[in-house]
Amino acid sequence: MTLAELAITVALLGALGLLARRLGMSAIPAYLLAGLLLGPNEPKQLALVSPSEVTDFVAELGLVFLLFFLGLEFSLERLSRTGRHVGLGGAVDLLVNAALGLFVGVLFFGATPAAVILAACLYVSSSAVAVKGLIDFRRLGDDETDLVLAILVFEDIAIALVLGFAAAGGGGPSDTLVVVLKALGFITAGLAASRWLARPLDRLLDRLSVEFFLLAVFGFLIGSAAVAEELGLSEAIGALMAGVVLSETSLREQIEERFFSFRDVFAALFFFVFGLSIDISALGDLGWIVALAVLVTLVGKIGAGMVAGRIGGFTTRQGFNAGVALVAHGEFTIILAQLASGNPSIDPADRADLVAFAGLYVLATATIGIVLMKESKRLGRLLFPIRTLAPEA
Amino acid sequence: MSVDLQETRLPGVGVKYTFRTARGGKLAVILHMDGQREIYYYERAADDEPTAVIELHDDEARQLGAVIGGAYERPKIVEELEMALGELQIEWIPVPDTSPAIGRTLAECALRARTGVTVIAILREPEPVSGARPEDAIQQGDTLVAVGKAGQFAEFRKLLNEGPFEPPA
Repeated sequence: MTLAELAITVALLGALGLLARRLGMSAIPAYLLAGLLLGPNEPKQLALVSPSEVTDFVAELGLVFLLFFLGLEFSLERLSRTGRHVGLGGAVDLLVNAALGLFVGVLFFGATPAAVILAACLYVSSSAVAVKGLIDFRRLGDDETDLVLAILVFEDIAIALVLGFAAAGGGGPSDTLVVVLKALGFITAGLAASRWLARPLDRLLDRLSVEFFLLAVFGFLIGSAAVAEELGLSEAIGALMAGVVLSETSLREQIEERFFSFRDVFAALFFFVFGLSIDISALGDLGWIVALAVLVTLVGKIGAGMVAGRIGGFTTRQGFNAGVALVAHGEFTIILAQLASGNPSIDPADRADLVAFAGLYVLATATIGIVLMKESKRLGRLLFPIRTLAPEA
Repeated sequence: MSVDLQETRLPGVGVKYTFRTARGGKLAVILHMDGQREIYYYERAADDEPTAVIELHDDEARQLGAVIGGAYERPKIVEELEMALGELQIEWIPVPDTSPAIGRTLAECALRARTGVTVIAILREPEPVSGARPEDAIQQGDTLVAVGKAGQFAEFRKLLNEGPFEPPA
């Protein structure tokens, strides 16, 4: 990748991102689309950037920043205050959608690790798209918004536990067990560190000038990612834990403020680079599975929203709104597929399919999800009219 | 009537406060993490579309909060209190450091007998005297809370500043 190519890439990302914003869409599908257009696969007229060590490295940084920010939001204290819907709503969503996802996965990949990854890809909705939609469509004041956000928190935790498996699991049963245990150990250590290290870290970082503050945090982040990678886990878990450790310090907001721009730039490039490897000609083989997955997602997510809503004491329409907000998939689906694409325990053909599937599936659900979300209240009124009482005789 | 204010964390967004209004509507106030505020008003609590949404910057929200909270207008309760007092006033009067009254009890100073103004409380560190009694002594740094008619306070201040008082018994 040359500077000129990078310039064109960034300009296109900016333009498409802006366009998506105008249309009220999330930027994530726009970035994927940019990668798809400029990548070496169809359409070939625009093929400008091919995956290389440079693009891989940039994407890796994007992944690290995305998970770092997820970790920063993770603090135990904040999680414990999210309220009553997290457990119940989250469990309903997990049971319904992981099961449906596994069904689709086994149907396509057979009983392989790839099927598990696909199940996770279908299970985890996009926090980024959902939150943006809730804000843009003025849903924050609605009661069911609490349920949506609670379910998203539950999904984030569940996915943190799957990251290790996606990156290295799926060999023999004992290997997989070791990977999962290592991941759990690393996460536990991170949570413990966030409790005990918060104060010393606070004091240390407080003394640094702005320049060294940036470098110290960045060094800690990359160091943590590198350690996790050396342990045979994934850089993703290391980055997540770096975020968790720093989330309990008083500097969390400052860190977020300083690193927002880094995250936005590198996350955009991450989705772009992922887009490069989407092969749209695979639609011939994958088309039916993507279509099935989208259908299953619509049924599973809306169904889960309505069931969770019923349990949580919401009306049918409110449950419907909640479910619709969970249809869009995005960053986590892509992250899981990206991690799986480097997992040696998964069959190479399956890995390529997973990447193409995830890209197309996110493009479809993010678009459908946002459109549905915009119209969900009108749809809700049509589908679930309030029964008027029969006039008294 | 107390308002049943519900606080909910919105992970990744901020905090939401919700309550039902007496007229059957619902108000939701959202404090975004970036300082932005939003007020959602639902005319009927069961409405699924808000009747109105107000977006405010941090400074605008603070201003609005002050106006609604009554910082700019005398709230009714203050007016009522003044009405109840009629022509009486309450004033806060710091005791000058040079006042001859320091070290004397209120009874010795005979402030009420000589000016008509009654000391009802004494503000002092660390503990204020809430119901001032005749045997309470005035100390350096005190602020006297006194009730009297408008015209009586000038004389009260003069006496407090200059005396003369009877020598202590």
